[in-house]
Amino acid sequence: MNIDIQGLRHEYDVEVLKDLTITLKDVSSIALIGVSGSGKSTLLRLLSGIEKPTTGTVRVNGTNINERAYKERVGFVFQDHNLFPHLTLERNITLILEETRNIPKSEAKNIARQNLEALQLADQMHKLPKHVSGGQAQRASIARALALNPEVIFLDEPTASLDPILTHEVLMAVKKLRDLGKDFVFATHVISFVKDFADYVIFMEHGAIVEHGPPSIMDAPTTRAMRNYMDKVH
Amino acid sequence: MEAVKSAARLSDTSRERLHVLLNYALAILTFIGLAIMVVIRQQRALAFDEIWLRSSIIQRAFVTTVTVSFIALIGSLVLGLVFYFFSISRVRYLRAFTDVFTEVIYGTPLLVMIFMMGYVFRASFNIAGPETFGLVGLTIYITPYMTNIFRAAFSSIPEGQYQAMDLFGFTTFQRYRYIIIPQVIRALMAPLMNNFSLIIKGSALLHIVGTREIYYELFALSNTTGRNIETFFIMWLLYLMITLPLSRIIQFVEKRWST
Ligand SMILES: Nc1ncnc2c1ncn2[C@@H]1O[C@H](COP(=O)(O)OP(=O)(O)O)[C@@H](O)[C@H]1O
Ligand SMILES: [Mg+2]
Repeated sequence: MNIDIQGLRHEYDVEVLKDLTITLKDVSSIALIGVSGSGKSTLLRLLSGIEKPTTGTVRVNGTNINERAYKERVGFVFQDHNLFPHLTLERNITLILEETRNIPKSEAKNIARQNLEALQLADQMHKLPKHVSGGQAQRASIARALALNPEVIFLDEPTASLDPILTHEVLMAVKKLRDLGKDFVFATHVISFVKDFADYVIFMEHGAIVEHGPPSIMDAPTTRAMRNYMDKVH
Repeated sequence: MEAVKSAARLSDTSRERLHVLLNYALAILTFIGLAIMVVIRQQRALAFDEIWLRSSIIQRAFVTTVTVSFIALIGSLVLGLVFYFFSISRVRYLRAFTDVFTEVIYGTPLLVMIFMMGYVFRASFNIAGPETFGLVGLTIYITPYMTNIFRAAFSSIPEGQYQAMDLFGFTTFQRYRYIIIPQVIRALMAPLMNNFSLIIKGSALLHIVGTREIYYELFALSNTTGRNIETFFIMWLLYLMITLPLSRIIQFVEKRWST
């Protein structure tokens, strides 16, 4: 994927993203790292089109993220899965396909089934989110993102609410995204995973990009902020 | 092996269900027993023949209670929803209006409310009879309680779900139809039952504005026939005949609508 960010700012009550500019070409998996509150989630929400930036332009694969149809081409995996709690795992997927992508019922069912099977959830798909484990729910939400056949999938700390075993399970599912040839951008604190699966690493602090480059930059941080962060997560 | 285990589990759940049923039957029998004891211990034998002669009055009273309660239910649901939207409105006046309205209602006993509407307000706005105004009083009295349950129901949907709806590009209609309303209805049903029981109890007070509902007619019957034990017994049963099936209906709607 290609990502081009020019002068991106975002503020709520205060400025949370400060004038980000970065151009990335032909990367397939980008990791966002940095302490809590550094702006990772905000950046992901903007990149995915969930929220509109205060100022600045962002192009993903050449498309301006402000274009109406942009959101339809991305997937998003939330920290707390955000599956609709009153719908089964399967229905969580078919509803979106039928209603927002105009896919016929039977085809939607097939797509849902395929994607849930790909994430080892074939036997869980008729259950409600509250009746499956946190790891299974998170995998279902990855399946939901995949089912929309997006160009890019954004994942916001998909394992932050999970224990170590479930974390492993979900990270294997993220690995699957790579095997399927999907491009993805993810925020995480699991550094070993970043080392294994990211092509590119962006370290953020106080709403700014402080360091970025291939995963090897994590072994030799040049700024104090990143050195501190690496010490903390190791 | 799996099959055996699941068969065992199945019989476990059906035995569990049988136990629940048995205990409910026992509890119901306890109440029937209590009722029979009360009847037996009366000084004189019960006689319903005089009351049966006037059963058409009782039927009409029953229909009246059901009708006014239903009107108050629908009316307060609609008004409650309107006030909920007022309370989250950007218009400051509407929010203030809702607050003041709620305080006034919370501070007023229902009996006083029905009196005020049925006689005082009705004297100023002479467009309908005291009965209608009294019913409006009951409806208004329940409204803030309805607003409360709407607020609780809507806030049971977390912010993250709205973000998901944004992401997938749901239209406003789709949001309400598939995500918000099903969950709101589920969250609404149990407290709605509470409010309906408030309404049923409140409807008995409508006798003060001359509404010929169950309490009004049965009380009158007990005077004309002198059979007060019998009439009060019937009165009690009539109220249960409304509230008990209703809680079943609500459970059904909850199951039916929440997916
Ligand atoms: N919806 C919001 N409203 C107001 N402030 C927010 C909102 N979302 C995030 N923030 C603030 O923006 C900053 C960055 O938050 P976030 O992007 O969630 O960081 P991270 O994901 O790296 O923890 C924090 O200071 C946070 O309090
Ligand atoms: Mg975050």
